[in-house]
Amino acid sequence: MVMGIVYALVNVLVFVLLAPFYDGVARRLTARVQSRKGPPLRQPYLDILKLLGKENVISAEGWPFRLAPLSAFASILAVIVLVPLGAKANILSHRADVITVVYLLALGGVSVLLGALASRNTFAMIGASREMMTMIMIEPVLAMTLIMTAVKVNSLGLQGAMAGVSASGFGLSTGLMLAVYLLALQAFVAKQPFDIAEAEIEVLEGPFIEYSGPNYALFKLSMMLKQMFYAFLFVSVFLPAAGTGVYPLDILIQLAAILAVFVLIAVVGSTNPRLRIDQAVRYYAVLIFLSLCAVGLALKGL
Amino acid sequence: MNAVEVARKLKEEFGAAVRATDSPSPDRLFIDVERAVLRPVSNRIAALGGRYIVSIGYDEIARNGTLGLVHTFAFDADHWAAAVRTSAPASDPLFDSITPDIPNAGWSEREYMDLLGMKFVGHPKPKRLILADDWPEGVHPLRKEVPYNLVPPAAEDVAYRLDEAPEGTAVIPIGPFHSSLHEPEHFAVYVDGETIKGCDYRGFMTHRGIEKLCQTQVSYNEVPFVAERICGICGSVHATTYAQAVEAAAGIRISRRAEYIRTVILEIERLHSHLLWLGVAGHLIGFDTVFMQAWRVRERIMWLSERITGNRKTYGMVVIGGVRRDITPEIAKEIEEVLAGVEKETLVLKKSIIGDTSIHRRTKGVGVISKEESVRWSLVGPVARARGIDIDVRRDHPYAAYDDMTFDVPVVTSEDVWGTLVVRVLEIFEAIKILRQALRNMPSDGPLLAEVGEALPPLRHAFSLVEAPRGEAAHYVITGEENRPERWRVRAPSYPNLQAVPLMLLGDQFADFPIILGSIDPCFSCTDRVAVIDARTGRRRVLGRQELENISRRGKG
Amino acid sequence: MWLTSKIKQILMVLKPGVVTLKYPFEPRPVAKDFRGQPAWDHHKCVGCGGCAAHCPARTILVRDICQELRIMIYDGARCAYCGRCADVCPEDAIVMTEQFELATGDRDDITVTMELFMLTCQRCGRCYNMETTNMIDKMELKGFRYDHLEMRAVIPKATERFDAKVLEATERYERPRT
Repeated sequence: MVMGIVYALVNVLVFVLLAPFYDGVARRLTARVQSRKGPPLRQPYLDILKLLGKENVISAEGWPFRLAPLSAFASILAVIVLVPLGAKANILSHRADVITVVYLLALGGVSVLLGALASRNTFAMIGASREMMTMIMIEPVLAMTLIMTAVKVNSLGLQGAMAGVSASGFGLSTGLMLAVYLLALQAFVAKQPFDIAEAEIEVLEGPFIEYSGPNYALFKLSMMLKQMFYAFLFVSVFLPAAGTGVYPLDILIQLAAILAVFVLIAVVGSTNPRLRIDQAVRYYAVLIFLSLCAVGLALKGL
Repeated sequence: MNAVEVARKLKEEFGAAVRATDSPSPDRLFIDVERAVLRPVSNRIAALGGRYIVSIGYDEIARNGTLGLVHTFAFDADHWAAAVRTSAPASDPLFDSITPDIPNAGWSEREYMDLLGMKFVGHPKPKRLILADDWPEGVHPLRKEVPYNLVPPAAEDVAYRLDEAPEGTAVIPIGPFHSSLHEPEHFAVYVDGETIKGCDYRGFMTHRGIEKLCQTQVSYNEVPFVAERICGICGSVHATTYAQAVEAAAGIRISRRAEYIRTVILEIERLHSHLLWLGVAGHLIGFDTVFMQAWRVRERIMWLSERITGNRKTYGMVVIGGVRRDITPEIAKEIEEVLAGVEKETLVLKKSIIGDTSIHRRTKGVGVISKEESVRWSLVGPVARARGIDIDVRRDHPYAAYDDMTFDVPVVTSEDVWGTLVVRVLEIFEAIKILRQALRNMPSDGPLLAEVGEALPPLRHAFSLVEAPRGEAAHYVITGEENRPERWRVRAPSYPNLQAVPLMLLGDQFADFPIILGSIDPCFSCTDRVAVIDARTGRRRVLGRQELENISRRGKG
Repeated sequence: MWLTSKIKQILMVLKPGVVTLKYPFEPRPVAKDFRGQPAWDHHKCVGCGGCAAHCPARTILVRDICQELRIMIYDGARCAYCGRCADVCPEDAIVMTEQFELATGDRDDITVTMELFMLTCQRCGRCYNMETTNMIDKMELKGFRYDHLEMRAVIPKATERFDAKVLEATERYERPRT
């Protein structure tokens, strides 16, 4: 019981404290690919601190605009507190299943939309419509990943599903899903070529255009947390090596694996132009189809 | 068809309405016509193969009570250019618009409605183009009686009326400040979902009357430095174009060595500009690695420019009569070294992006405009060459030392943004080729500056064309009596190309807007002709943070 | 094709490495003959005003506050660093220095005022500096003296409409007392 609470707290601490670090690593790597030195690794922390200290310009009327950053941050926090970091289920993991996680992630996306629509800015609207399309097309891939593992262990429980692959070993379905997850990774973390909703050149950070100061800091932090979460999900579902049983060691192994995922994200992100939304949607459609196939294969027991 | 034949043909067909023809040099023909036949003569010249360049309006009210108008045309295949001159009394400044037949004349004519108070019969879109929305009606700043520093009181309640949006579309305001525009201009893009259905343009927000300034304030040899600051990228091009126009008008011959040095400077500028554009294009499609790598290669050129001219970008090399600094053998050696490095690195860059399908996806089939439309709209430069139009001023109207150079003009027929990219990348290697030839063949003697007499002959007309990195720049000069040009008309390459952008945008995705606009490498300030000189007095003060904040939030709820 | 391009892009990056300069922390030398902030040598200057007459930005002001005293003011805020002043100076009194870090919040930091003692030629009334040779006649362009009545028409108006404050300052100019 006590340990359950401790595990939950460790979850939050590790994620909130390290998410900016991983962002810093990605920025540093991107810079290296561009022959630049890049900002120091502490830069994302400083960015967030700076934003928190700035004036909070409320440029739109109504509560949705103020609520959006809070609910975006809250929903991603709720997601990370549930997940079994270091393969240890905490006090909350037992009470949630994969559906909860998918819903909470969707809530984060909806919050962004809410804020964008409330700001009534033309570019935010375009960004929101793109974000919405991305959400509709990419959430199924996430859901299918979790459902596939759930099928493997015959339970929707979060802890079981996360360990599904390690329990049943690699099969055809797992291999296919791993490939699909990797192909969708850039879209999950909203990096090139799928940073379409925030495209700074066309829609000037899209949904976030009217946000500033602490509100924007919350959005930024929740984006970083989301990226780290997706990297973590990949690690804990597809790389079940972290099974030493020693809790701190498991966490360290997982964090190292997350770092590797971020290296991949940064390299792919910096060597690709942004896609157009229509091209991206066609790409997502293929991914959804493939992930459905993977679930089908898992049902067949492959 | 050469100049003599065209002159004869026009005289035969239009009789006495063609008052006179004058050919000061074999590659120029000035045709004076009656106002009534302006449109048919222009159409006839266009039908004979003349490519419309630009129109020039000038004020001769003090001299003979008329306003003059010139349409210029280039015959690229036959290496000459024509200017059709006419005039109308200031009390009745009516001309037939040629825009219905030659759409690219639209802006020129609107410009003179604003600046000279001319009227054009049959103009399809006689809206304000250059003057600010609150500029009083009836004050035409390019007329001689209007002082150059006139500042009419500002008005708050006037605004440009955008075109009617097509049914079922939403308006996306791009600009005046937007991250895909690097200068203040306003595009209203009409979109249906993400598909662009139309576009209206309100530009000239940086128009500060550089032509007026140079016609009234500075002297001949100061204009090149002002001209250089028309554009931050192809500044040297404008200085050269202006100097060549004045030299042609006054009959100044510059030394061969000076011509070679001008060639070297222009090609170095082309190198830097093409690499800059390649980077910007990468940035506009969200590919920042191309941006950074292209600019990394470009940086060596910038250091080289600083070494040769004393400045990274505003070279300040060209003056009337020649150039200011020499290219010594040791500098030539340094240029060779940098060229070798740049060539190697650009080749690596080219190889790594030319086959990249992810770039193809964003550029192929985007911003399509057919060859016929491009000819009709008189597009210039890489934008035209990407659409199968084989024109290049360096080859067709050789200036400086280009007649000694052998080089290829890359032409592709893909008619889209990808074609522009290919053309510009290939031109980098052509520029390196030209530079090597120029350095090898440069005559070792000859003065840098030709002797320029005390006074240049007044009221001579001349115009000159120069291939800027992004297309053809054209300057028209009428020499004046007060040691400065009587009239100086600048036409930057973006001026014709920008007019065709709405056509390119039509039917494309909104996400492609930045790269389509970027593909013509628009230089709004060139188009607007900015001066860095701000002669207003007493208005200068430093704004604090609070003031700036207040200004930026004014008008918000 | 896509994959080979990606590999080429990664390889392209490896060779040049990191090119970022530590610029503000490490000085970056400029090229020889760089055109930076112009500097006047008041020992050499004969006060001919050629620089003022050739300045495309009209940022050099010549003003005679009395028969013997000529003030030359250079206002760097509008300077285009073209180096024409250094080119035309008959006495080589102007050099383009290597100084380019000129951003400032105070205009006075980049404004240079120079006070020249002139003598009047008893024959023609024009000014020259007694200590050096009179180079005025070598100047091809006439009209550099602001308050020469005949030349006033050719004097660029921009000089007259200079920064009002600077103009005012020259009108109230007083020699520093020793």
